[in-house]
Amino acid sequence: MDQTNPERCKLIACAAVIEEMLPLIPPRMSYEVLDFGLHTDPKSLKRALQNAIDSSAPVIETILLGYGLCSQAVVGLKSGNHTLIVPRVDDCIAIFLGSAAEYQKQYSMVPGTYYLTRGWIESGDTPFSEYDALVKHYGEKTAKRIVNKILKNYTRLAFINTGNNKLEYYREHARSMAERFNLRYEEIQGSDAMIKKMLCGPWKDEFVIIPPGKTVSFFDFRKNGP
Amino acid sequence: MSRTKTRPQLVSAIANLNEELALNLIRERLGENDDPLNLIADCQKGLQRVGERYAQHKYYLSGLIMGGEIFYEVMELIQPAMENRISGTGSGKVLLGTVASDIHDLGKNMAKLLLSCYKVTVYDLGVDVPPEEFLRQARKLQPDILGLSGLITKAYDSMRETVRLFHEEGYQIPIVIGGSQLSEEVFRYTGADYWVNEADVGIKLCLRLLK
Repeated sequence: MDQTNPERCKLIACAAVIEEMLPLIPPRMSYEVLDFGLHTDPKSLKRALQNAIDSSAPVIETILLGYGLCSQAVVGLKSGNHTLIVPRVDDCIAIFLGSAAEYQKQYSMVPGTYYLTRGWIESGDTPFSEYDALVKHYGEKTAKRIVNKILKNYTRLAFINTGNNKLEYYREHARSMAERFNLRYEEIQGSDAMIKKMLCGPWKDEFVIIPPGKTVSFFDFRKNGP
Repeated sequence: MSRTKTRPQLVSAIANLNEELALNLIRERLGENDDPLNLIADCQKGLQRVGERYAQHKYYLSGLIMGGEIFYEVMELIQPAMENRISGTGSGKVLLGTVASDIHDLGKNMAKLLLSCYKVTVYDLGVDVPPEEFLRQARKLQPDILGLSGLITKAYDSMRETVRLFHEEGYQIPIVIGGSQLSEEVFRYTGADYWVNEADVGIKLCLRLLK
């Protein structure tokens, strides 16, 4: 499917990915940013996404979702009068890496990888950023016990470099967290390839296209079907 | 203190992640010969509240983990009482593991702990287990049930691959997939025989299948 008039397109994106998308959003395309915290509760995220879809202006024909399956939060969404375009990926890490194939490659190499990006560091919703609060609340021994439990089986912390202006700050933050929690630090070069394709089209196999009047299914994300 | 008072107290202690209070209440109730299954049921109610608070952003991930930690401690206290309550020797064998590409094992470990309480023999293959390894171990250990655990979306593809391999090789065994984010659609995608997204439901299912 080819790109339509940007004025008839709307982007609904997670706060975790919007900074990487902002420079590439075509002029006159509207966008809405949803709270990062919604990702911990797929049901709330689904509700927020459906509300954002349903409340789109009548002029909007195509809605681009800056999300992946995201714990299946997008499954069950109804397109209403719009066409929905969703990257055919499991979560935003593939969006930052530029493709589902690159994400798969990284996973195959080191399944126990904790990925950090600018957005995730900013959100403060990682075991690393929680640690100090945990020490205050439970004491150091229990805090360590909890974080070690969360990070059990993780061996690598990968910082995805998406090239933003406070890069050195985020890089150092990620590096120091890796050191503190005995993880191997690695920096992976991000790619805006998928973001560009999403915002500018044409939308080929890498995207799920849901026509008006349809509902998003898990099987839309798995071409090999049931 | 009467049981009617301690039951909601235990639920709250777990929900508030108060480890010391929760363990004291467990000891107290075990001293009164309370049914260990009631204790587990109360703990699960408490854990459910922890999950709700996580969803409402009142707890972070660490809250969920702490809830799990308390539950493990509780189970250690309860285990002898459970073993006394359940008569007989081993009542079945379950081969369990987190599937390839996934390293999360909280759910798997909880299932293992609970099954052990029912004297079910659990062979735990660990995490990131390839389909071929499940098959190799199944042939060697001859389990009654195969349990495939996974949290992340990539796990669904590995579950599907594992189920496919067992079918292709003609190895007949009930296959149960478990994971907190599973759904009916994912279940259909994997081709497994049963699916569960809560540990206690999984235990009941396994016990039923082992009868």
